[in-house]
Amino acid sequence: MSALVRLTDVTKVYQGGITGALNGVSLEVEKGEFTAIMGPSGSGKSTMLNLVAGVDRPTSGTVVVGDTDLGKLGETGLARFRRDHIGFVFQFFYLLPNLTALENVLIPAQLKGNAPNARARELMDRLGITEVANRFPARLSGGQQQRVAIARALINQPTLLLADEPTGALDTRSGEQVMELLGELHGEGQTVLLVTHDAKLATRHATRVISVMDGTIVDDAHLESPQRAAAEVIRVRGEEASR
Amino acid sequence: MTAVLLKAMRDLRRRRLQAAVIFVTTLLAVGTGTMALTLIAQTRDPYQVAFDAQKGAHLKVAFDGRIDPGTIAGTPALIGATNSGGPYRATDVQFQSAGHKYLVTAVGRDNPGGDVGQLRIAAGHWPSSATEIALTRSFADLNHISVGDRLKVVSVPQEPVLTVVAEVVDIDELRADVGGVQHAWVPAAAIASLTAKDASFLMDYRFATDPTSAQLQARVNTLRASLPPDSVTSTINYIFVSTVFHVSTEILTGVLVAFSLFALAATAAIVANLVTGIVISAYREIGIMKAVGFTPLQVIGVFVLQILVPATAACIIGIPAGTILSQPLLASNSQALGLAYLPTLSPALDLLALAGALVIVAIAAVIPAFRAGRLKPAVVIANAAAPRGQSGRWLRRLASRASLPRPVVLGLGEAAARPGRAILTLLAIVLGVATIVVALGESRSFNKIYTYEGHIGRVDVVVVKSPALADTNATQLINAQPETRRVVAQGAATITVPGIPEPVSTLGFRGDSAALGYLLSPGRWFNAPGEVVANRGFAQDAHLNLGDTFAATVGGKALTLRLVGEVFDFTAGPGGHILMLDWSTITAAAPDLTPSSYMVTLKPGSNVDAYVKRLAAAEPDLLDVQPNSTGNTAFLTVIAGVLFGIAAVVALIAVAGVFNTVLLSTRERVRDTATLKTLGMSPRKVIGMVTTSAGFLALVGGLVAVPAGVALYRMLFDQLSSLGGNITPTSFYDVFAPWELIAIPLAGIIVAVVAAGIPGRWAARTNVVEVLHAE
Repeated sequence: MSALVRLTDVTKVYQGGITGALNGVSLEVEKGEFTAIMGPSGSGKSTMLNLVAGVDRPTSGTVVVGDTDLGKLGETGLARFRRDHIGFVFQFFYLLPNLTALENVLIPAQLKGNAPNARARELMDRLGITEVANRFPARLSGGQQQRVAIARALINQPTLLLADEPTGALDTRSGEQVMELLGELHGEGQTVLLVTHDAKLATRHATRVISVMDGTIVDDAHLESPQRAAAEVIRVRGEEASR
Repeated sequence: MTAVLLKAMRDLRRRRLQAAVIFVTTLLAVGTGTMALTLIAQTRDPYQVAFDAQKGAHLKVAFDGRIDPGTIAGTPALIGATNSGGPYRATDVQFQSAGHKYLVTAVGRDNPGGDVGQLRIAAGHWPSSATEIALTRSFADLNHISVGDRLKVVSVPQEPVLTVVAEVVDIDELRADVGGVQHAWVPAAAIASLTAKDASFLMDYRFATDPTSAQLQARVNTLRASLPPDSVTSTINYIFVSTVFHVSTEILTGVLVAFSLFALAATAAIVANLVTGIVISAYREIGIMKAVGFTPLQVIGVFVLQILVPATAACIIGIPAGTILSQPLLASNSQALGLAYLPTLSPALDLLALAGALVIVAIAAVIPAFRAGRLKPAVVIANAAAPRGQSGRWLRRLASRASLPRPVVLGLGEAAARPGRAILTLLAIVLGVATIVVALGESRSFNKIYTYEGHIGRVDVVVVKSPALADTNATQLINAQPETRRVVAQGAATITVPGIPEPVSTLGFRGDSAALGYLLSPGRWFNAPGEVVANRGFAQDAHLNLGDTFAATVGGKALTLRLVGEVFDFTAGPGGHILMLDWSTITAAAPDLTPSSYMVTLKPGSNVDAYVKRLAAAEPDLLDVQPNSTGNTAFLTVIAGVLFGIAAVVALIAVAGVFNTVLLSTRERVRDTATLKTLGMSPRKVIGMVTTSAGFLALVGGLVAVPAGVALYRMLFDQLSSLGGNITPTSFYDVFAPWELIAIPLAGIIVAVVAAGIPGRWAARTNVVEVLHAE
């Protein structure tokens, strides 16, 4: 297998402090993997996701996705990279409030010059949100909003699907549905990079769990390997948390 | 592009109120701008059209009546004229009509056609007998004389009665309302019977190409050099006539251009302010847009489109509206020339106005939108809201120390929280208030000029004497009236001065002329024989300083004059010259000169009307007696209307600017307002807080705008003065009462507070639970 995402010695220091910083992180994510990045609040996991998405830049080190070295792209290049290769799902959905559900789903494709209505309908149908296609986000439940966000993330058939705490703002049932959906997508070959602080959720669907603490990777478990069962990962996470 | 357009249109729908602000301000600015452009582009057309159609004279020369007409007929070849008209014999004639007496220069001419200086008959037919006369249409209109009216000539003892048979348009002379003695036409054979004493000859010259001023002057010099001294008594050329014809429109155009620039600048400030506010309020959304793949340019495009759509809609309405509103002004020019006015639309001009307005608005929108384009998506998504403006802290601290009420303290802090926003709002306020100051100042100054030139308040009655009445008789009659306190007689002549190409219009005064109140800057009024005052244009062109002595001639006789003052006077017209001197000075060289009018000041409490009636009745045919007035002030009314109309437009734009700023701030601070309400701030105090912010900006804006407006008014008025060859006397600046300079910014504050009251009430109605929950 080939590495789809490659972080090499990546450091990120925010102005005015070290909170959320990454300290020389190196990481490779293979194509087709479902990788969960876990860690407590402020550990740097969302920063890592932002760097991979190209919405933020590292202080030092390189971030390569596919054949693209993100450090070599300007703002416009990064926007095109996100549009063409990345699907991003946020904790708080972040739908554009004055566009309908369908329009939200279509917007990344329209930015590319396409208007794949059929695909949008198909995605919405699959995600069970067809009946709310013409509603504005304010009139959708949290679960519906997140499914619209996922459809939006998938509309351009991204190389990499990034999900930042996608269940964080949802009730348990909606959260389960979203995670099952991500699992299904992974089953169809979609590379997924998930950020969550919920170890149980991560281990249930991810094939690999990376634990981050104070900007450093402290554990990297491939769950397919017999040596590292889900329970073991949860135990390790518990120990990290108690340190 | 679809995504950008979709997002922009949806945002526009969400921000309907702000779109309305952009629409209204752009509409007003573009409307006035289009009016100015239309006037600039078309004002020269009617005159040029008429000049070409009537084969207007490039040069018109009056010769002394004693010169042989055969010699005059040979002058076209002398100066290279390709066509000529005349010589026409002419004489000054005074006639009486409906109780008024008028002076015209009657010209003997048998037909209105010819190779040069054709006369367009606007009504009636050309005079064909000795009892018929044609008048200029502007003279007939001004004095309410119509075809068919009978005029009694009182300047010759026979007192013939002439019937007006035609109103004509003469492209080669100034309009009657601008000034100067108008021409009137009778058959050539009739001129002898109308000549009392002096006669002259008029010649019209036309050249192959339009000559420059210098070329015309060289030709006049050639004429002078070739003929006996003082043969050329006066000249007028097409450049001067054209300039005077356009002067009122040019003043209007200048005002429109200046004010429409103000309006556009204010609109640009509002747009920049608005886009800044939208960027601030849409912080997280910008992050989301970028995260889903909007490029920085596309993000900018979303914001700029939101502005361009209402701005374009405003242009689509404003440009035709401006074009239509400018038509009456254009039509008046055509009608003055007897031309049928055909409203002409200029698509190219409209496109220019559209492009110009959209470029200005787009630039104003793009600059703040760049901020949105540059924002880092990770940062704005994480932070959700823009950093709060903190610049108002110092003001809050200051207000706290002054123990002002808390809502006032908070409102003051809010006004300065975002310096960029405060500056843009101040710019709109300053432009609005300054425009009002300028409009008020200029319109009052125009009135003041008319009052000054007419000696209103110093002269109560003006008596115009027929040449047929002796000066001694007229003077005796006036002095015999018990109410007469002071009489200043005035006579006109032309003096030839070395270095000045044209004979200089000269007014000789007899009596206490200093009491007429002419303003001198610098220098003093003449008080000894040989002393003269002149307008600045004369002093400059003759290269004279105060105290300089110079030689001049009147009717071929030498005169030594000494310049003692520069007089403020507009009667000479643009680029013209005028001299004023004592009667003894001019009659020393021209003993035959007699006064043509008398300016009479009555004793306090006198009944002017009774005086006028009595004096007029004493010599009904030979004296024209009228109460002194400013005369025709239609031009003033138009100027004042335009000035105040546009000032209102710019002021309205400024109000929209204040409203917009308060609206942005209120929406941006909705959480703070909710928190303050939670802490116990009453709705009334919330309104007080919001309106304080607007009131403070209006106060600062007013404090800057009033001196700026006064300075701008002075600058514009100085330009106008220099157009008439003058320096503005200090007293002319004194058009504002001190209370007005305080009242104007105070009114601005009240208007701003009222405008801010609307978003203030919205803030006061903030639903605390909803807001805090949403946050």
